[in-house]
Amino acid sequence: MTETWLVIAALAAGTFALRITGIYFGERVPTRGRAAKALRAIPGSLIVALVTVSIASGDAAEWIAGGAAAVVATRTRNLPLTMVAGMVVVWLLRR
Amino acid sequence: MYGLAFGVLATQAEMDGIQVGVMGTLVFAGASQIVAVERLIAEAGAWVALGAGLALNLRLVLITASIRDVFAGRPRWQRLLGGHLSTDENWALLLAKRADGGTAGFHYLVGAGAAVLAAWTTSTVAGVYLANLVPEPRSIGLDFTFTAAFIAIARSLWTGRADLTPWITSAAIAGAATVVLNWDASWALLAGGITGSLAAGIASDD
Repeated sequence: MTETWLVIAALAAGTFALRITGIYFGERVPTRGRAAKALRAIPGSLIVALVTVSIASGDAAEWIAGGAAAVVATRTRNLPLTMVAGMVVVWLLRR
Repeated sequence: MYGLAFGVLATQAEMDGIQVGVMGTLVFAGASQIVAVERLIAEAGAWVALGAGLALNLRLVLITASIRDVFAGRPRWQRLLGGHLSTDENWALLLAKRADGGTAGFHYLVGAGAAVLAAWTTSTVAGVYLANLVPEPRSIGLDFTFTAAFIAIARSLWTGRADLTPWITSAAIAGAATVVLNWDASWALLAGGITGSLAAGIASDD
């Protein structure tokens, strides 16, 4: 409970700082070259790692559902729909 | 709908409507909220939840930097307000309007941002109440929804072939760390994220 509030407060403060950094120091943020590429790749690399870790430690039902979710995500780009598709496949396989 | 989805996910971390509402209003960055909440559920600790959420939000620096002309000559309170309200959606709307030859500036950004914030906070809190109607989350596959949400977020972050090298690197390293080395999930995430980012820098040819 306390931990959750701490994370909310710190994530709010940190996210606000990131947004303001772009406004005040935007001209110093690299837009081309290796540093810019590396910076841009951080969020995507992290999400891919999250998907990999959770799929790798899941069961066969989750691997299949992960494939189904990837197909729905690619075609629709819709987050809730992707979640529902993944959930339904897991539910069907575990019944 | 995205908001409803977050509300449902947050209840798995035993968050109530107030926490979800405060988080939505003050953090106001959906993907990072999902990632941080998932790390809390995994009992990875507050630092890991915070670090993962902030790493995902690094792209907000690039977003506000790319529209900093909107804030030129504005007083500080307007910069702070507009900064907080800058998000993927109204940033894309602003650029689209300009590409169409329209004029869109500070008021357009703040107006659209306030609308997105109101919708986001309302729908995430509604999601908490929706989730409370579901009796047995695990039995209907709700535990898999985070993985599915990450897959959807990955799709939204994909910008083209240049992402292939960092993403394959990240998946290979995070996968090997988990399966072969039996690393704790949080360390595997860190290793995947860092090596993916480095691979993008190294593979760059300009």
